[in-house]
Amino acid sequence: MKLLCVDSEPVYREIISLCAEKEHVMVKTVASYDEAITAFIEYVPDMVTLDVIIKGGSGFDLVKQLKILSGNRFVPMIFLASHTTDSVMDKCFKAGADDFIPKPFNEVLFNIRLKTHMRHVELMKEMYRKNKALTYYQTMIEREHEMAHHVLDHIQTRSEKNSGQVAITRLSAASFNGDLALVKTRSDGARLVFVGDFTGHGLPASIGALPVMQAFFDAVDDLLDIDQLAIKINRILFGILPDYMFCAGYLILITQTGELAYWGGGMPNAFIRRLDGSFDYLCSNHMPLGILPTREFDADLQFNRLHFGDTLIIVSDGVLELKNDQNEMLGDSKVKELIAHYYAEEDLLLAQQLTENKLSEYRGESVQLDDITLVALRSACLQ
Amino acid sequence: MSISVSVNDNTNTVTIAIVGSFDFSLFNDFRAAYSNLTKFYALYVIDMSTVEYLDSAALGMLLSMRNAIEQDSSIQLKGANAFIKNILMISRFDKRFDIQ
Repeated sequence: MKLLCVDSEPVYREIISLCAEKEHVMVKTVASYDEAITAFIEYVPDMVTLDVIIKGGSGFDLVKQLKILSGNRFVPMIFLASHTTDSVMDKCFKAGADDFIPKPFNEVLFNIRLKTHMRHVELMKEMYRKNKALTYYQTMIEREHEMAHHVLDHIQTRSEKNSGQVAITRLSAASFNGDLALVKTRSDGARLVFVGDFTGHGLPASIGALPVMQAFFDAVDDLLDIDQLAIKINRILFGILPDYMFCAGYLILITQTGELAYWGGGMPNAFIRRLDGSFDYLCSNHMPLGILPTREFDADLQFNRLHFGDTLIIVSDGVLELKNDQNEMLGDSKVKELIAHYYAEEDLLLAQQLTENKLSEYRGESVQLDDITLVALRSACLQ
Repeated sequence: MSISVSVNDNTNTVTIAIVGSFDFSLFNDFRAAYSNLTKFYALYVIDMSTVEYLDSAALGMLLSMRNAIEQDSSIQLKGANAFIKNILMISRFDKRFDIQ
C-alpha cells in the first residue's frame, strides 16, 4: 500500500510518514502542487493526504485534478487541514475529498482512519478484479452461444425447405437452449422428422447436435427404420455426453399415404389437429436419448395416421413456457386453443406465420428466455 | 441455502431437501449433498415439496446422482407438485427413481 503525502510543512510530512509507516504503508512526501501532480503520476499511490493550502496552488484544485487523474481507480483523498470551518470542510468534500481530519491531529485517530481507507482500497481492488473476471467470462459465454447458434444454423440449412407440407420456425433467444428440428423427404417419398431438445444452454447443448444430424441424414439416405435410428442416436449420445446431459426428442416417419410411426422420449405431447378441428396427440413414452445403455434402451414405436388436411404440430417447451409481461406461462391449453384456431387455415405457411405473430403478441414486452421451435407438418396424401 | 441434508443412521436414510428453483445453479451444491457423505445409504429421499420449478439440467443432475451412488440404494423423489411430477413422468424417471 502506497501513500502520497502532500504537505507544505516539514513537521507534518514527518509525523504523517511515521504514522503511516507504522501501519506498513510506504510513503512518499512532496511539498508543492506541481510536485504532487508529478508524484501522483509516477508513484501511483493508493491513497493521498493533503492540506487545503499548498505551495503553488490550492488543495481543492489539487483534489479535483487528482481525482481526474485516478480515472477508474479509487484513490481515497484525505484532507489534513488547519482550516476547520464548516465551509472549508464542505468545499473539500465537494471538490472530491473522501475524508477530513483537522490539524493538529490525534495519532490514534489518524491511524484508525488510515486503516479504514486501506480496507476500502483493498475492497475496491478486489471488486475491480472480480468485475474484470466476470466481464471476461460473460464475453466468452456470449461468444460460445453465438457459436452454438452458428453450428445449429449450419445444421438447419440441410433440413428441408418450408413448403405447403412442412413449416419449421425457430425464434432464437439470446442463448441457444438446445432445440433442434430436422425434416427430410426420403427417396421413397416418406418424410423423416427429428425434433429434439438437448439439456442445458449454449455450446454444451449444441455438441450433441452434430452427430445426431449426421445419423439423421445417413438414415434418410439408407432408408433406416426409425427404431434403428433411435437406437443409433441413443448409442451415440450415451457415448459422448456426460451423464447429466441428454436429449429429449421425437423421431417421426410419415409415409406418402399418411401412415405415421414415431418414437418419443421426454418431450411434451405433440398435437395432431384433425381437419374437423378435433385433436389427437403423440405422446412420449420413453426416457430421453442418451441416458440408457443400449441393452436397456427401449425402441418400441407408436403409430398414428395423418389424413388429408390434418396437421401435426410439435412445439418445444420454449413455446409452452413462453411468458407474457405478467410473468404467466402460455401453457398447454392456450397452445391448444391457438393451434385449433390458426391451423384451420388451408395454407400451412400462412397458418404458421399467424401462429408466430400470436406468440410474439403474447410475449409482448417481456424477454424471450428460451429458443422457440415450432414444427408443423401435413401429409402429402391426396393433395 | 437452498439445499439441506439430513442423515438418519438408524433408518439408513439421507434426506436432501431442495427449496425454490431446482436448476443448473445448484449443480455443484447438489452433487456435494450426496457425494460428501462418509458412506452410502440404503435410501436417499429428495424432498421436492418446496421446489417451484425444475428444468432439464436438474433432471440431468438426478441422473448423475443415480450413477454416482450404489445401484442397490434407492432414490425417492418426494413431494413434487403436479407440474414437476408431469416433467418427471414425461421423461419416464419412474424407471430409475421411486416417485412419490
